[in-house]
Amino acid sequence: MSENIERRRFLKSAGMCSLILTPLAGCSVKEDADSAHKPHYVMVFDQNKCVGCGDCKTACNQANNLPAGVSRVILEQQSGRVEGQACPHCGKMVCDCERKFVRVSCQQCKNAPCVTVCPTGAAHRDAKTGIVTMDASKCAGCKYCIGACPYNARLINNNTDVADNCDFCLHSKLSKGELPACVQSCKYDALIFGDANDPQSYVSKLLAVKDSVRIKPQFGTEPSLRYIPIVKLGV
Amino acid sequence: MDTSMDFTLGLSQGVAWPWPIAVYLFFAGISGGALTIALALRFYLGQVENTAFLKAATLLSFVTISLGMLCLVLDLTNPLFFWRILVFYNLNSVMSIGVIALSVYIPLVAVVALLALEKELMAIPQLKFLAPIIAKLKGFRRPMEALALVLALSVCAYTGFLISALIRFPLINTSVLPALFIASGLSAGGASAKMLAVWLFKEPLHSGEMKILHGAEWPIMFAEAMFIFMIATALLTGNAGGQFAFAAFHEGVWASVFWIGVVGIGFAAPLLLNFATGKHFSHSAKAFYMSGMCAVVGMMCLRLFILLAGQNYAI
Ligand code: SF4
Ligand code: SF4
Repeated sequence: MSENIERRRFLKSAGMCSLILTPLAGCSVKEDADSAHKPHYVMVFDQNKCVGCGDCKTACNQANNLPAGVSRVILEQQSGRVEGQACPHCGKMVCDCERKFVRVSCQQCKNAPCVTVCPTGAAHRDAKTGIVTMDASKCAGCKYCIGACPYNARLINNNTDVADNCDFCLHSKLSKGELPACVQSCKYDALIFGDANDPQSYVSKLLAVKDSVRIKPQFGTEPSLRYIPIVKLGV
Repeated sequence: MDTSMDFTLGLSQGVAWPWPIAVYLFFAGISGGALTIALALRFYLGQVENTAFLKAATLLSFVTISLGMLCLVLDLTNPLFFWRILVFYNLNSVMSIGVIALSVYIPLVAVVALLALEKELMAIPQLKFLAPIIAKLKGFRRPMEALALVLALSVCAYTGFLISALIRFPLINTSVLPALFIASGLSAGGASAKMLAVWLFKEPLHSGEMKILHGAEWPIMFAEAMFIFMIATALLTGNAGGQFAFAAFHEGVWASVFWIGVVGIGFAAPLLLNFATGKHFSHSAKAFYMSGMCAVVGMMCLRLFILLAGQNYAI
């Protein structure tokens, strides 16, 4: 093992220790004392706007070269309706009753169990952006992260035989200064992406005025995906 | 507002850790349990000779942990990537810490077994070349055995910590799991080493050492049952997620594995064999092997139940 890695590990654990000790000492330290601005990338999924077209999924698969049958993002359709059966509301075989969709993908936890459990550090937080991503060359394929992710939002990419997750297109688009592929492809503006730590960003402004929810916040993982649910009046 | 949206689909199908991992947990438990009992007994009685039980336990310990490693490697998505776990470390990860412990434990078990089986190995002419190595290692025997004892216990416990870090599964995500895995490892490891000692190393069925081991069995088994009971009550009286996972105990195929395998074969059968049969039978070799096998089967069922039923009841 190179000395460089050792050094990095030492710095990392030193950082970890200070993170653990800081609240105990009862003092707050500015996390980003050295760097001017630490982004916190968030994505907002607006259920009111999503029509379930699946363009986001197609765009993601293309941008990230995912093999057939594997996706980092899917849509769950939620209604009383079972495919191939008549709608429980209107009785028709094809209808738009009560249909809503939920984006299923890595929630980009601030306190990510997948990163904690990964024995090799393959599942890690990108130093610059804070985005949870993969170093495929380190992953041993032990699937610990898959069991540990409370959202079942990780997968095995059978092209590479290693674990994978939605990382906001960190390597495919963000690094080129583009928005994530799904956000670009959404014709209905159901996906909004940006830096929540920047008060001038559109997401910050949106989150300031809109009620949004997070999925299963009780796990304490502090997900960075926000959802704006359909709220029906008078139901 | 917080609970007004949820999804139930997942991006990976099936369970993350299938049955080979349960087999690994089983082998690691047997290995750690058998060695812990043998070395604890050795220190407790101040033994210096190589007893049949020590020989059996060290041999068993080495063979089972090696088989366990095989299961672990074969379960990787690509077994050829195994070296990555050995090269890259993340000290926040229980698995990484386990790898460090195992990479000391496995060679140490090999050495401890080598010393315990000295006479047997030296009887094989092809192995004569080991003689100088054994002679050198002998000087460090005590400290190596002490370290092996600590590591054997850690290996038992670590398998519990390893899976209890999976927060999505209430049956698995409990703090009692490491203790349960130690207790069941000790009971099954002890039982299998006893059987091996009698069968392979011709230990008399009613020797003094065997008597002590028989005596230790019941309290360990009682502790094991207590821990299972604690997990079950914690789920039943816990929050909605816990109550949902409690169903593992009374519905589906895993409930049968639990009641037939863990409770029936693992606990009830040895009790019946020992206390509900005549003295003549309960002291026979047949009863000895039967109750030993029951303990081993019961432990395998327990690992299967915890790992697979546990993963089936995700919140
Ligand atoms: S949702 Fe799962 S994969 Fe994504 S950061 Fe959280 S734990 Fe990791
Ligand atoms: S499968 Fe890969 S990324 Fe996931 S925990 Fe194992 S080594 Fe880490």
